[in-house]
Amino acid sequence: MDSYRYLDFATRQIIRAWVEREPTRPSPWTPLPRPLERCTVALVSTAGVARRDDVPFDEERERENPWWGDPTVRRIPRETTGREVEIHHLHIERRFAREDLDVVLPLRRLDELVASGTVGASAPTHYSLMGYILDPTELIRDTTPRLVAAMKAEGVEAVVLVPA
Amino acid sequence: MGLVQREIEAAGISTVSLSMIPEFTAKVGVPRLAGIAHPMSRPMGRPGDADGQRAVLSATLEVLRTATAPGTWVDLPFTWPESVAVARRCEEEPPPIAKLLRRKPWLLPRFYAGDIPRDER
Repeated sequence: MDSYRYLDFATRQIIRAWVEREPTRPSPWTPLPRPLERCTVALVSTAGVARRDDVPFDEERERENPWWGDPTVRRIPRETTGREVEIHHLHIERRFAREDLDVVLPLRRLDELVASGTVGASAPTHYSLMGYILDPTELIRDTTPRLVAAMKAEGVEAVVLVPA
Repeated sequence: MGLVQREIEAAGISTVSLSMIPEFTAKVGVPRLAGIAHPMSRPMGRPGDADGQRAVLSATLEVLRTATAPGTWVDLPFTWPESVAVARRCEEEPPPIAKLLRRKPWLLPRFYAGDIPRDER
């Protein structure tokens, strides 16, 4: 498949340069602990989704320093609806996720797959990051351990990561 | 996203990522990857298309269910129903980094090289 078909010229050039530069690393591996029909699944969206009653991702600081992107995480409870969130990501077309949150964070679709028996359970909490992070230092050092701890505390056994 | 996926997997939770740029995600070294030829900002499909979105989520979970070794990469068979021109149509203003690089094009090589100035705030 053509990874670049929907990207504009400048973005395509940049991603190609980054693919070239990225070192090859061996991947970690954790097998599913039980059949998916019995697993608890959590979603992670990088669309910068935050509940309106939570702290928004910091768009202002990125406007002041465009090399910076907010490296924190937001918790999105399972029952959250599109009306209860805002999309804080200055690099995506936000109108689609605003119209239908499942375009980036498929909470309702996951509920349906639980109902049909494909998946054991939807985790009580799902998560969002903001995907524009050029320097991942804080993301990996501070944010990800908190994310993992929160997932483990809720018995999450499998995670689907959805880009934006 | 790939770096976060690696950390979650290394901590003992099985992961799969969907990606519109699977070539890039694969290079990061992720355990399970589902490539999809959808435009940016719409990974799961079109707004309101519950059936399409559910099919994408099911297919992604199928990669999670069936993968037997790290580095599994499956391109999903979905196609986008709009032309490339329509799919690329942009209504948002350009992101701050695009405006900065337009104003100061001599910074472009730094951006390409991933030589990112630290924000020490």
